[in-house]
Amino acid sequence: METLGFLMEGFAVALTPYNLMFALFGAFVGTLIGCLPGLGPANGVAILIPLAFTLGLPPETAMILLTSVYAGAMYGGRISSILLNIPGDEPAMMTCLDGYPMARKGRAADALAISAIASFSGGLIGTIGLILLAPVLAKFALTFGPAEYFALFLLAFATLGGITGKNPMKTVIAATLGIMISTVGIDISTGTQRYTFGMLELYEGIDFILAIVGLFAISELLFFVEARMGRGRDQMNVGKLTLSFRELISTIPTQLRGGVLGFIAGVLPGAGASLGSFISYTLEKQAVGRKGTFGEGDIRGVAAPEAGNNGASSGALVPMLTLGVPGSGTTAVLLAMLISLNITPGPLMFTQNADIVWGVIAALLIGNVLLLVLNIPLVGLFVKLLSVPPMYLLPIVTMVAFVGIYSISHSTFDLYFMVAFGIAGYFLRKLEIPLVPIILGLLLGPEMEKNLGHALVLSDGDWSILWGSPLAIGLWVVAGLGLVLPYLVGPLLRRRMNAAMKESPVSD
Amino acid sequence: MTGLGDRILGLGLLVLAVAYGWVAQQWPEPFGGAEGVGPETFPTILAVVLVAGSIYLMIKPDPDAEWPLGKPALELVVSVVVLLVYALLLEPLGFIIATTLAVGTLSWRMGATPTRAFVSGLLSAVLVFVLFNYGLSLSLPAGLLEVN
Repeated sequence: METLGFLMEGFAVALTPYNLMFALFGAFVGTLIGCLPGLGPANGVAILIPLAFTLGLPPETAMILLTSVYAGAMYGGRISSILLNIPGDEPAMMTCLDGYPMARKGRAADALAISAIASFSGGLIGTIGLILLAPVLAKFALTFGPAEYFALFLLAFATLGGITGKNPMKTVIAATLGIMISTVGIDISTGTQRYTFGMLELYEGIDFILAIVGLFAISELLFFVEARMGRGRDQMNVGKLTLSFRELISTIPTQLRGGVLGFIAGVLPGAGASLGSFISYTLEKQAVGRKGTFGEGDIRGVAAPEAGNNGASSGALVPMLTLGVPGSGTTAVLLAMLISLNITPGPLMFTQNADIVWGVIAALLIGNVLLLVLNIPLVGLFVKLLSVPPMYLLPIVTMVAFVGIYSISHSTFDLYFMVAFGIAGYFLRKLEIPLVPIILGLLLGPEMEKNLGHALVLSDGDWSILWGSPLAIGLWVVAGLGLVLPYLVGPLLRRRMNAAMKESPVSD
Repeated sequence: MTGLGDRILGLGLLVLAVAYGWVAQQWPEPFGGAEGVGPETFPTILAVVLVAGSIYLMIKPDPDAEWPLGKPALELVVSVVVLLVYALLLEPLGFIIATTLAVGTLSWRMGATPTRAFVSGLLSAVLVFVLFNYGLSLSLPAGLLEVN
């Protein structure tokens, strides 16, 4: 009941006309970001951060804007999956399997409609799960001491590559690099200058916003330049909506299953939205059995992964909001926004910044409704925008990134820094060093060092405090598993995912 | 030799890790004496982790990625130069001119016809400038176009 009261207060925050306007704007931009190939959700949210910052938005409005963008991007990813057979973002990969065949059969409009509705149910289920689970987890997290936090951060890094990750060692290297970058600047506890080389610009450390924008946006541009994919693809005709009410009703169990599975995958460390949609799709296929026509345009094959990935995206907010430890790239970027708003993420946020947390959760509910309303009538508009070739789009996106960074500090030094991060990002991606752990390292590095310091002060310099409680040991074990499991289970899972992709008759 | 990319990366990271760790040992002891954790403790741990990771990379490298050669590589260099020149000229030339040139050149190099590329550059530049300066009242440099 307490939760309900908080939720009502959240609605009071989210329903003010000013915040509602930003939620609507965010939902629209988010869908756009999701459906445009070459502009993933993490990338899109990253570019908007400096803008939200320079506009001087109040913290709850800024968070509502970015959360709506996040939810919108998950909706948008399906549009290009269905129409072009290229996923707009990674979790939308599974939607290609049945969505594109449906579009080829001339049922593109139906596929778009059912996926919008499934996204809505998935998002709704995920948000309800978030409302129920988050306060409980936050209360539990209050019992964490510095040693447990230190172990928790390690767990976050260890599981970030995901069970399907290729080379966990590269995740470790990436995270270490990120934390190293975060140590540049004046040490908070002793005032020692670290790695500043006497440069005034480095005294305050490296701004993670410009690192994020550089790593994501600039490296994306370079990838497109290299691949010469500037022209984009042919457009598909959407056609008329022929979805019958009975068909819609028949997918409801699918949507419910998908949403719940997705949510669970989203909350668990190391799983994430991609795995959420994969699990939903595979289990649905097994549940329906031979009666289904999966891979040839089965309507349930569109509903399941979409419900799954939207459920997962709400689920991924649980660890981010309650523990301050994001489990995915986009939630890491949302965390960056929180930190730059001077809000300490973690369990205390539920008491100290209750208006923001519950405002965001309420905005997520409202955003889902807005998205459903936006997506059904406006799908034609999004499809038109989808046909803007990347050769016009990406340079403009890059320019917006420049403007955002420039408007924070009005210094061209930051722009050079951003380009440098972009070039580094290009090389790292080429060498398959994942970028998300770098970002997470940048964000969590200072917190990690602080907690290590506190733990050792409490124990008078005895390092064994780091694994001194059962909870801490448990976290260490899970972290260890996070690094070892990809070696054992990863190849198997990856093979299955690939096999599922190959089974689809259309692969061009 | 396969895995050359990873081996070179590993070597580079090893050098970085050693340098990073070595610098950390040079800091003077903070005022008030050493405690359990000094400014150098955490960086030292990081350096050790990175040394281990880089050695692993050199011993067990992944297969090489395909690196662009010839024309695509040149296009990449051109793009980077455009971005750097854009940052350099943003203030002296002003936002609109610099952006038109930068966005136009990038679009053109990505495959648009020159006219269309520069028109899209100009349109987006003017739109963003108006939006920022008048709509959001954040000033972008006007540069040469400044009206006194």
